Amino acid sequence: MNDFANAKVLHTLPWNSAYITSLAFIGNDRVAASSKNGEILIWNLAVPAGKTPDPVRRLLGHTNEINAILVTPDGRTLISVSSDRTVKYWDATSAQGEPGSVVLNDGFLPKGVTEKVDKVPPLPPPIEVKLIVQKPLRVLTNHTEWVLGLAQTPDGKTLVTGDDQGVIIVWDLPAGKERRRWQATQWIASLGISPDGRTVAASQHIPFIRFKDGMEIYVPQFHLWDVESGQSKLDLRKDLGKDFPREAMSAVVYSPDGKWLAAAHGKLGTEKTQGKILLLDPATGKKIRDLAGHPVGTNDLAFHPDGKHLFSCGRDQMIKIWNLDDGKLVRDFGKFADRGVWISAISISPDGRLLAAADRAGQVLIYSLTT
Amino acid sequence: MLKSTLVTAGGVAVANWGALFHSQTIAAEAKRSGKRCIMLYMEGGASQIDTFDMKPGRPTGGPFRPIKTNVDGIQICEYLPKLARHADKLAIIRSMRTKSVDHGIGGYHMHTCYPSSEKFPHAEIGAMIAKYCANPESDLPSFVKMGTVGCNAGSGYLGPQYEPFVLGTDGKLPGFANPSAPPAVQDRRAELLKSFEERYARQRPAEPFASHREAELRTIRLMRARKAFDVADEWTKARDRYGNTPFGRGCFTAVKLAEAGVSFIEVGHDGYDSHNDNFPIHKANLSVLDPAWSSLLQDLQDRGMLKDTLVVWTSEFGRTPAINGQGGRDHFGRAWTVVLAGGGIKGGQVYGASDRDGFEVAEKMVGEGAYFATIYKALGINHRAKHYLGSRPIWATPDGSEPIEQLLA
Repeated sequence: MNDFANAKVLHTLPWNSAYITSLAFIGNDRVAASSKNGEILIWNLAVPAGKTPDPVRRLLGHTNEINAILVTPDGRTLISVSSDRTVKYWDATSAQGEPGSVVLNDGFLPKGVTEKVDKVPPLPPPIEVKLIVQKPLRVLTNHTEWVLGLAQTPDGKTLVTGDDQGVIIVWDLPAGKERRRWQATQWIASLGISPDGRTVAASQHIPFIRFKDGMEIYVPQFHLWDVESGQSKLDLRKDLGKDFPREAMSAVVYSPDGKWLAAAHGKLGTEKTQGKILLLDPATGKKIRDLAGHPVGTNDLAFHPDGKHLFSCGRDQMIKIWNLDDGKLVRDFGKFADRGVWISAISISPDGRLLAAADRAGQVLIYSLTT
Repeated sequence: MLKSTLVTAGGVAVANWGALFHSQTIAAEAKRSGKRCIMLYMEGGASQIDTFDMKPGRPTGGPFRPIKTNVDGIQICEYLPKLARHADKLAIIRSMRTKSVDHGIGGYHMHTCYPSSEKFPHAEIGAMIAKYCANPESDLPSFVKMGTVGCNAGSGYLGPQYEPFVLGTDGKLPGFANPSAPPAVQDRRAELLKSFEERYARQRPAEPFASHREAELRTIRLMRARKAFDVADEWTKARDRYGNTPFGRGCFTAVKLAEAGVSFIEVGHDGYDSHNDNFPIHKANLSVLDPAWSSLLQDLQDRGMLKDTLVVWTSEFGRTPAINGQGGRDHFGRAWTVVLAGGGIKGGQVYGASDRDGFEVAEKMVGEGAYFATIYKALGINHRAKHYLGSRPIWATPDGSEPIEQLLA
């Protein structure tokens, strides 16, 4: 079995203008990253040895934070959801667009928003890169508030999105048409859809820091919803009992083979959490095992295509690899550049050979996972 | 709970019941004032940039967007839509510069006008207002707190008669104030106690007994007045407007208590200390704040009480314009915002300004002294009122504190 012992950093991709919220591979040699300031950059990773890839495309159209992105299984469409209340479709492959540029290492994150500019250590010089600027193919406006949750089925036919008004919408993905919607009681913090497209797992909460008497109605929820009826099939909060956290799940992901449902304990504000990762039976919602996860909160999860490993990243600046069969930690990658910021997102290439990881200081690292 | 609500002095419970400790002079001042104050305290430090001093399009701006209000030129956060319809009542001070930028010391400073480092028993604003505005004939306490409010300085040098009476987070009375026995049984018990005590007093006519008797009388007065705290029936009709939250109920209770004659009511709304995840936390908190605060203002207006009721919205400090690596904002006192409304205040205005990214005050800096002096003047209280602790003089606000006349009606 791959122990990822030879995993190493291939590229460090600077961006820096705002923290990176989500990552997705386009095929096996391009990666897209979305940012808090509403932009998406795409890098072509196929560059000669020793050369750092520059971004080749910049997707502009969102007017607020992008909360999640994904690329359809055929690699042709990139889909993003945002706090600007929209879902946007983008051409993931086209090189057509307007000529433009982007400034990397613009220094915004270290010093653009601090009153202690004189204490910021010397920064690398800014780099202006010429690229193609592209606009969305399609804008879906069915949500009325922040769209936070995004997932698709492995066949690329069904998309699901969720917002902070508790609205979950299931879409005909290729057509971009709403098929069904239902109303949950709280914000949708994260969600996943089963490979057969019949079940949506959604973690809900109201992001208050503290809970007191009289606020029991705000205890986070975690349901498995039947897509056809829009009804809750399982209330996992009841099933999980003491394993259910006071915080929402920061990530909910089905494995592509449908054997696992993984859910990560996140963290909100200053509340304490163990940052555990739960591995659940997708059919019954019963806990199979839990993984130690990341102290103070796990941020993102990704199943490796080998079907045997789960990758996670967290607020401890670490990336960790877990063996699904026994729940043991295979390895971690050490503190991510030790920049004192969370690792916010990870993504694995379809062939399983590359890992992309991004931090809240606006940097993407590309790891080789080959043995 | 008992200890925090009824302070014991010499073995005698002495919560802040109006008449018992008021001199004739103070009573006369109170009759002149006839004012009261409701303070909405955002415990943890609310973000000014995400509420009343927005920076759209700037790096520090965050994801929230401004919306228009019912006053031309004043914009506030999109997640305060109901409050936006009351902007004509608000005086928004966007130029607060305060010195105590941590929770304990900030809470103390913004409740007393003095830094805790002075190691002096300063009086909270609620005690000061109770002293000068309370109705001396009222059965009700004059200084009431609900929820987490970030300061327990209490009445300080003003004496235990102005200690706060602390309610539950949602404005409900503490358990001890709700005797299980029905009123008729309570009356019979009181008569029996009275006969025993009268016999005892005839044999021992000492001062301590008088104090004991006064405390007992105050307790009886609370029992008599406790219906003012019982808003359960009306709450079922009001909760859709205020939001069915502890803070919403607290605001509704505050209106009822102000109507019943309580001089100062503080309602805490905690959970603003968003070092991580500032934006979802603030969005959730504003969804609680907006219906509660706007309904409070509306009800005060509808009952004809707004002109005599000052409503203060404040925190211990603001939050940094900088957005940290955890998506949070940290403590910040250099340029933040408080809001005044209602009694004595000229609404529909913005006072002062921060710079374009919110790091510094750009116009009309306001410190703790001017802020307190303005509140006191709006309520008809001499902001330089002099008091003594022993032989040491202490003033309501420090030397040099002046009210901001532009804010006053």
